[in-house]
Order: sequence, then C-alpha cells, then structure tokens
Amino acid sequence: MTNKTIIEFRQVQKRYPTGQLALYNVNLTIRAGEMIFITGNSGAGKSTLLKLIALLETPSKGDVLIDGTPLSHLQARQIPNYRRRIGFIFQDPHLLYDRNVFDNVALPLLISGMPATDITRRVNAALDKVGLGKKTKSYPLMLSAGERQRVGIARAVVNRPTMILADEPTGNLDPELAQDIMHTFAQFNDIGVTVLIASHDHGLVERMQKRIIVLQRVEL
Amino acid sequence: MTDKRPPAKPRIVASHDLGRKFRVWLSQQKQAIDFSLKRLWFNPISAWITLIAIALALSLPTSMHVLVKNLQSLTHNNQSVPTISLFLKPKVTEQQANDLAELVKSQPEVLSTTVVTRDQALQDFKKIAGLADTLKTLGENPLPNIVVITPKMNDLGVTDADLEDFTKRLKTYKEVEDVQIDIEWIQRLRAILQIAERIVAVVAALLATTVLLVVGNTIRLDIENRKDEIRVTRLIGATNRYIRRPFLYGGLWLGLFGGFLSLLVVNIALLFLVEPVNKLSLLYGSDFNLGGIDLTTTLEVLIISASLGLVGAWLAVNRYLWESEVIND
Repeated sequence: MTNKTIIEFRQVQKRYPTGQLALYNVNLTIRAGEMIFITGNSGAGKSTLLKLIALLETPSKGDVLIDGTPLSHLQARQIPNYRRRIGFIFQDPHLLYDRNVFDNVALPLLISGMPATDITRRVNAALDKVGLGKKTKSYPLMLSAGERQRVGIARAVVNRPTMILADEPTGNLDPELAQDIMHTFAQFNDIGVTVLIASHDHGLVERMQKRIIVLQRVEL
Repeated sequence: MTDKRPPAKPRIVASHDLGRKFRVWLSQQKQAIDFSLKRLWFNPISAWITLIAIALALSLPTSMHVLVKNLQSLTHNNQSVPTISLFLKPKVTEQQANDLAELVKSQPEVLSTTVVTRDQALQDFKKIAGLADTLKTLGENPLPNIVVITPKMNDLGVTDADLEDFTKRLKTYKEVEDVQIDIEWIQRLRAILQIAERIVAVVAALLATTVLLVVGNTIRLDIENRKDEIRVTRLIGATNRYIRRPFLYGGLWLGLFGGFLSLLVVNIALLFLVEPVNKLSLLYGSDFNLGGIDLTTTLEVLIISASLGLVGAWLAVNRYLWESEVIND
C-alpha cells in the first residue's frame, strides 16, 4: 500500500431524478492499493458510490477525483479509456449468454484491440486465477451461480485494472463460496490493485479485517 | 550517456505505434464484419423479411428506371426508327439525289442520309406479297427517288414548332417534292419520358426513404435485443465507435443484399418481358431490343442500397447512443 490517493470524494451528493437522495455530503479518501468494504443497509447508497467512481452516474453536487483529476473534467471520448482501468463486478455478473466463458472474458481485451495470441494467454491466466481453467468452452447457462460470478470476476480483472469495484459480489452465493470469492479479491489486492467492495454481509466483512466504510441512510 | 542518436528512437516508436493502431483497427473491423454476418446468418427469418422488404421497395424504381431507359433508347440517334423521308420530284436523277443527300447531311440536325433509288424501292415493293402483280400492270416504275434522313434527335428540340421549322427548311430544296415525317411520335414520347423520369425520381426518393426506415427499424430491434450486451461492453470500456461498428455493418449488409435481391427480381421480370417485346418490335420492323440492367445501373443500385442501409443503421444506433449515455444496473 502506498500513500498515494487514488480516489477522493469531495462533498459528494447524489439525488436521482426520482427525488431519492442516495448520498449526502460524502467525503472520502482512498489510497492506491487499499482494500475497502462499504457497508450499510440497502438504500444507503453503496451502489451509487461505486457507480459514481465508474462514471455510470454523475454526482448532483461535489466532485469525485481519480488520481487528483475530477471526473467531471473528463471528456466523453476519454471515458472508455478511463473505464478500462476499472474492473466492475455486479451482483448479477451480466454475462453474455450467447458466448462461451472464454469469449465472455476476452471481451475487454477485444475492445482494447489486443492481438489474438495475447488474448488467449491473458484469458486463460485470468480463468486459472478464479479456478475456471477447465470451463473455457462452457456457456454461462451451463455454470452454477458461483461459477458465473467467477467468470464475471475474471472478465473484470483480465484487463489488469488498477481498481476493482464490486457491488454485492457475493449476494447470491452460499457463505463458503462467498468467502472464497473474497479471498480471490484479497489476492488481487496483494498484487497492488485497489479493491472496493460493497456488501451488506457484516459477518463476512468483519472476518476480512480490512478498512470498512459504513454508509447511513439519509433521512432529510 | 554521450550517445547522440536518440532522436531516431521516437520516430521508430511512432511509426511502430501507427502500424499497431492500424492492425488493431483492421482486426476490429474484421471482428465486426464476422459478427454482423453471423447475426444475419443466425436470424434468418427476420433477416429475410427485411431483405425482401428492401428488395421489393428497390425493385419498383429500378424497373421503372429500366423501362424509361428502354423507351429513351427508341428516341436515341442510333435507332433506325425515327426518320424523315424526302420524296424527290420525278425528274430528279439518281446522281442529283446523291448530291442532295450530301448537301442535307451537312445540316447540324442531321446524323446521316441514305438514298433509296426508285429501282431499289421497286425491288422492295416486289417482295411484299400481292404487290408484285399489281406493279407488273404498271408499265413504268411509278416510284420517286427518296432521300432518307436520320436526324439527331438531341439537336432537333422537342416542340412541334422546332420540327415544323426544320421541315420548312427541307422543303426549300428545289428537288424536294414532299417531306414525310416519321418522328412526331418520337418527340411526343421524349416529352412524356421527361415527365416519366421525374416520376421515377419521386418514386425512387419515396422508396429510398422506405428502405431507410426498414433498415433503421431492423437495426433498432437488434439494438433492443442486445441492450444488455451494449451496457456490459460500455462498462468495460467500449467506445461508441466500437459499439456502433457491428450495427453499421449489419445495416450495410441488409442494404447490399437487399440490392442484390432487387436486381434479381427486376432481371427475372425482364426475362418475362423479352419475348413478347421482341415479337412486337419485329412486327414494327424495328431492330429494338429490350435492354436489361447494364453494369452501371447494377453498380448504382448496389451502391445506393448499401448506402441507404448504412445511413439507416447509423441513424438508429446514434439515436440509441444519445439516449443511453448513462447505464442503470
């Protein structure tokens, strides 16, 4: 872990068009190489916080800074490149069901235009890492929920992102699998990747012994 | 380091980088082409319905265009159909007729002239059944020498007044007894064809819009079916260009293959017409032949249909991309 700040929230507020206030006056500093859990009840704004970082949402007030640069200063055409630095993992892994495991994981590399031989090598390495080295030819519907989630993780890390953002990655999994996946994240953190995980599973989060940010539901 | 060669290095890097960028671009084009063709191949029903709709929409203006072009070819200079015949006075000799033909040929409106001597005319008449006997009863050849003029239709103008003017000038030659014009109908036809051309243009514009909408709608449905995929690819850093590409190729194929299909339809329809048209033109003693779709028209149809497909897809994708800048999980 270094002392370099990678993510900074400055008085961030997010109100959805429906009028719902998801975040109110959030100030937050995350250093490069940290692994952080974001907890809080549902509706406390955990997902919103991650989405603001991935630019899936924009704040209503305040600024999110990455490496000291406000995201609001990014031009539209710079956003894809920025997103390639992030591995985003949803509760539902959003796999493409008409493609096999290999092709799903290869997608980020195809998008960034990597040569085919490098793609094969990287995809196989990423699938080995999540323990799915033997399932490359399977289709998502042939996999269990845990396996699908791990395909989602492989896809998120295959591009070697500097940040991993996971939104309830273990929400649908049994405790043993959940623990497994958390350890996978910890391994990526060990090689220097900044990891942010939103989770409402307090027991699991406490066992990991990492910094925890608790979001309170805003009542205004 | 005292090495003084470093300036060469960045240049090599730059050109290498350019080469890499080109290879990336090429491989992504190939991916998009493969992918879009596979989409067509694996959705045969929707693809065929769209293709047939495009083909039918395109075949109407194409066939009208071919029809008008065929009729126009009747009015072209090189057709032997439109002629003006100068009947010469009985006393005019063959030599004088030839001289007159030369003289008339120098007129700007005249493409060529031929002399039909009274003897030739008699021979022709004899070939027509029944007339031979009648001619025998006449002791002497009653036919005059004739100069047949093939006018340049393009220089003659289209109004009756133009034609009358030209006729008057021909009548001033002292050898000429009478002028028989066989081209009025051609001029009327030309005037009608000018209107027909406009009509074809209007129909073509309307049906081109139809093709645009059909392709746009097909691509819109395709986008609708692949919304999840677009969301995911966007999330992992796909540029708009990357997202757009397979859809643009999809539109291009629809337009191009629809164009092929419409050419096929029109060609089959023409085959259907060739025989009766040839029979008819034979009855009129014309060497007119029903022309098919030539290479230029074929290429025009394909280029236009492919462009329409591309533009239709472009409109559909861009509309979607504008609407959905932000992803909601």
